[in-house]
Parts: sequence; structure tokens; C-alpha cells
Amino acid sequence: MASVSFSNIEKKFGKVKIIHGISFDISDGEFVVLVGPSGCGKSTLLRMLAGLEEITGGEISIDGKVINDLDSKDRDIAMVFQSYALYPHMTVRDNMGFSLKLRKASAEITNKRVGDAASILNLDPLLDRYPRELSGGQRQRVAMGRAIVRDPKVFLFDEPLSNLDAKLRVAMRAEIKALHQRLKTTTVYVTHDQIEAMTMADRIVVMHDGIIEQIGTPLELFDRPGNLFVAQFIGSPSMNVLKGTLRQVEGRAWVESQNHQWPVGTLVRARDGQTVAYGVRPTDMRLSSTGQGIAAKVIVVEPTGAETELLVEVDQTPMVVVMHGRTDAQPDDLVYLEVSAEKSHVFDETSGLRLD
Amino acid sequence: MKKGWSLRKVSIEAQLLLVGIPVVLWTMIPVYHLFLFAISPRDKATSGKLWPENPTLQNFEFVFGQKHFYLNHFWQQLGNSLMIAVATGLITLFVATTAAFAISRLKVRGGRTVMNMALVTYFIPAAFLAVPMYKTMANYGLLNNRWSLILAMVTIASPYCIWVLKQASDKLPWELDEAARIDGASPLQLFWLVYVPLMVPSLVAVGTYALLLAWNEYLYGFLLLSKETDLPLAVALGNFLAADDSPWELLMATGFIYALPPAAIYYAFKRYMVSGLTAGAVKS
Repeated sequence: MASVSFSNIEKKFGKVKIIHGISFDISDGEFVVLVGPSGCGKSTLLRMLAGLEEITGGEISIDGKVINDLDSKDRDIAMVFQSYALYPHMTVRDNMGFSLKLRKASAEITNKRVGDAASILNLDPLLDRYPRELSGGQRQRVAMGRAIVRDPKVFLFDEPLSNLDAKLRVAMRAEIKALHQRLKTTTVYVTHDQIEAMTMADRIVVMHDGIIEQIGTPLELFDRPGNLFVAQFIGSPSMNVLKGTLRQVEGRAWVESQNHQWPVGTLVRARDGQTVAYGVRPTDMRLSSTGQGIAAKVIVVEPTGAETELLVEVDQTPMVVVMHGRTDAQPDDLVYLEVSAEKSHVFDETSGLRLD
Repeated sequence: MKKGWSLRKVSIEAQLLLVGIPVVLWTMIPVYHLFLFAISPRDKATSGKLWPENPTLQNFEFVFGQKHFYLNHFWQQLGNSLMIAVATGLITLFVATTAAFAISRLKVRGGRTVMNMALVTYFIPAAFLAVPMYKTMANYGLLNNRWSLILAMVTIASPYCIWVLKQASDKLPWELDEAARIDGASPLQLFWLVYVPLMVPSLVAVGTYALLLAWNEYLYGFLLLSKETDLPLAVALGNFLAADDSPWELLMATGFIYALPPAAIYYAFKRYMVSGLTAGAVKS
């Protein structure tokens, strides 16, 4: 177990700079998820930690020791790849014991460690099979087993669930989380899927275009996104955003967008008349029963059982509303939306920064 | 509807046969002729019959017993052929595998240049290089030494083998190397424990190719070797034609024996030959 520290990390491929000075710390035993759209540099950052990519600038340290110039094998890390990367010509047992074999561990120790890892992951009956004889989920578990056997300081996961089908992904998500709670090994996990990030992470690092947009616990990011990018990236369906003008008159504040007034809380860092982006999550809007609120035309109704998702139009701007339970609303019906001021998010239109 | 479909199938079948039958005849008639000569008595060999009146195995007895002037060193020469072919196969395999591994997996500097140069060698027919090769071997004092032929054949076979193996290597998932590196494998361990086991089909194909190339080589053997006890069988067979009254039936019997090992090897490894030589030909 160990802490990890990134200090002003930069990465260039040729002349193209893709990571622009990233710094953050991961504490001992923490499960940190790097999340962001493709091309944001999250995988590159992980691969630099793994020693698979050279570090152009800055320092990475594990337990306070700078590891920039260490070989992968000397960094005491284990990595799980998206494609599993199991050795096709070795049995599950040999795959899991490969690192110990290279370290010339005795057969006794290897057997014990492989056996322990196999029983944690329920792989005992599969030990003598070859990777080609396993299902996707089983292969992923073997890849995790191979990492566990190493008993490394840090686990690295590079989009490990992306090749699995939706149902299995949910199951494996829980399995990885449970594994972490049991082993308490420091973990860095890369994904583009914000649901994975939200459900698994102790802390999430949101990356975009080679910089960190925000770091925080899942609920911090959800409740108080620091900027427009994070606001729209975290949460599904994503946050409704519309452009408008901020009005602050006599202690009352609202955002004017076309013909409607959207309620906002108190904003100290903003001024009257400022152009802003106004955001509200689909789950933070209700259908008004009193006929008051913002008029919207229903376009599509999508019942999912427990919830109903409505695609509506407000002044020709499409918005999504998610409501618990069911509704009688039909396409082309007129409904009224209620939004509470505390649940609204206001961002500066140019910088995208949160304004409260 | 169904009839039309089957008519179409018949037509395709017929077209294939139209190509296939001439090809089979074209390749098999000389081989049959060879066989016919080999089992005919000396004076009946050119009788023009489809099957000899008195087929005999006496010619083979002559060959195996080395009972003719031209066949005095038959076993020695067969051994030479075998030794040269196997050595060429193994050395080429070593050269090509290590080169492909270094270029494809370790990404050594200059790898592209090596590949381009390997490609350039195809533009020069091997026969053009025969005399320069002769000079080179003379410079190193290797003439009349079986190693000269082995080295020459390795030189000719390697570029193609490097090319094929590089293409096949490129198809191995890159993550395997990364996983092995993280697991603590040195480049040499990566080579032996991960790379070579996964490359076996391609290695068999390439090794067989080099082996057969050397087994069938005539020109270089003829040039570089002259002592009868050093010659491979292919060159010795050519020497049968030195006199006016060549013992055709013995030549054919020896030729028939000479043709059997390649056929056997090809048959044994044909599974690898097809998959191995085409692996990497197209990106799947």
C-alpha cells in the first residue's frame, strides 16, 4: 500500500503536448478514478505511472520516492488492461503466477499466492484452463487475479470493463469495489464512463484536454460541479444548460432566458446583467400540478418503470426531465416545470466557471 | 429458382475443374514420368508406354547400394543436403526471429531501414549475386566448404523471412508486451516466454521455407562446392548429365528419392505453411 503523487506532469508526443502540467496526490488505500472523454490524457497519465510511457516533464512518486526513471517492474505496481492481455499460451494458473516465476519465487509460495487470489475471485475451477476457454468476465477476473498475486503497492486499471456487456459490467463494477474494500490497496482506475467513476471512486479526477477540470468525491462533483464541463460530464442524463442573463435586483436573483425566468440562489461572485450558462439537472425539475412554472411542450415520453424520462421543449430549446413514478403526459401536451433555486447551477458564460 | 441456383453451382464447379485439371496434369505428368523412369529397366526406360512391362525396384537397389560411378557418394551427398538444409533453416530462423522481434516489438532505432533494405533485396535476382558471392566466399577462404553454401542460403532466405515474421509479430497484441514488462520480464524473457511460443506457427512456416529453399538449391551449390564428398545431392544429380550416355533410370530414381523429404515436410507442416505465410499479409 502506498501513496502516489503527481507533480506538474507533462507529456508530449513529438511536438504535440497532450498533458499540460498535472498535479494531485492520492493517499494510501484510496480508490481514485480518472475520468474524461477520449483523448483527454487519462490513459496516458496512467501509463506514465505504470512506466509504459516516458514522462516528458514533472515527477511521479510512490510513497515519496520519485519513480520517473524506474522500470515498470521496479515500481511495484500491477495493471489490468482493457483487452485483459492474458498470455494466450499459458493456463490461468501460469498467467497468474507469471510474475512470481520471473522473480524466481519457490513453487510453494507461487502455489499459495495463486491459490489465495483464485479463491478471492472464485477462479479455483478454472485454474487449468486456457484464456481462450473463458468468457469475457472470467478473463477479466483472471487479469485481476494476476494483479492481486503480485501484492503490489498500487493497482492500475485501464478501462477494464469496456469490453464487457452492460450487465456484466455492473456485476464486475461491484466486484472490483468489493475487492478494493477487502485488500485496501491504493488504486488508480481509468474510465470514460462517468457512471463507473461515480459508483466506484473514493475520489474522482475529471480530465479534459490534458488538464484537470475538477477533483472531488462523486457527490461533490455531482452537487457542486466547479465548471460547465464537469457539470455536463457528470450525471446521466446530463445537465440541461441554457444561455441567459443574470438578474440580481433587490436581493432577488433569477436568470432570464428568452421568455422565462429561472430561479437561482444567492450569487456573490456575479453581477447583474452578466451573461451566464444556467444549468439544472433533469432530476431537479418537477412537473407542476398547480399550472405555475415554466411552460414546456412534451416531445417524447420514455417510461423506464421506476422513473419516467420526458424530452420537452422550452422556447424551442430541448430539455430532459426525469421524474419518479409515472405520468399521464402525452406528446404535444403542455406541462409546467418547477425548479428550486438551491438546485440550480450558474456558470460564467465565457470562462465556464461556477458562480457561487 | 432452386434449379437456377444449382446450375450456377455446377457452372462454378466446372470452371474450377477447367482450371484445376490442367494444373494437376501440368505438375503431375513430369513427376509421373520421373517415377516411370525410376521403375523401368535400363533399356525399356524410353519405350513410351504408360506403365512398364516389367516394373522393377532394381534402380533403387543400385542407388541405395551406391553401385554406380555417379552414385559412389550417394549417402554422403544426401547427408550433405540434409545438413545444409537443416542448418540453413535453423540459422535463418534465428536471424529472422531475433530481427523481427527487435524491429517489431522492441522498436529498435533503424528498424524501418532494415525492413526497407530487406525489401530492396527482392529486386535483385539471386542468380545475379552468384558471382559476387563466389568472390566473397573466396575472400574468406570458404570455397569448398559446406558452410559457404549454408551462409549463402541464409543470406538469400533471411530478408523474406524477416519480412514475414515482422508482419506476423505486428499482429500480436501490444498489451501482452506491456503486461509482461509490468510482470517483470526482461526483453530476453519476453522473447523466450511470450514472443516465441506465440509465434510458433509462423516460425514453423518460415523455417520450412528456408529449409526447402536450401534443399532445392542448385546454382550456388554448383558454384561454391566442387569436391564430390561435399556436394549436396542436387548438384550431384546434375553431374549425371556430364557424360553422353547418362544412366537416366538411376538419375530418375535418385531424383525421386530426393523429392520425397520436401513432399513429406510440406505435407506435415501444410497447416502452418498456409496460416503462417499469410499471417500478416492482410490486416485482419
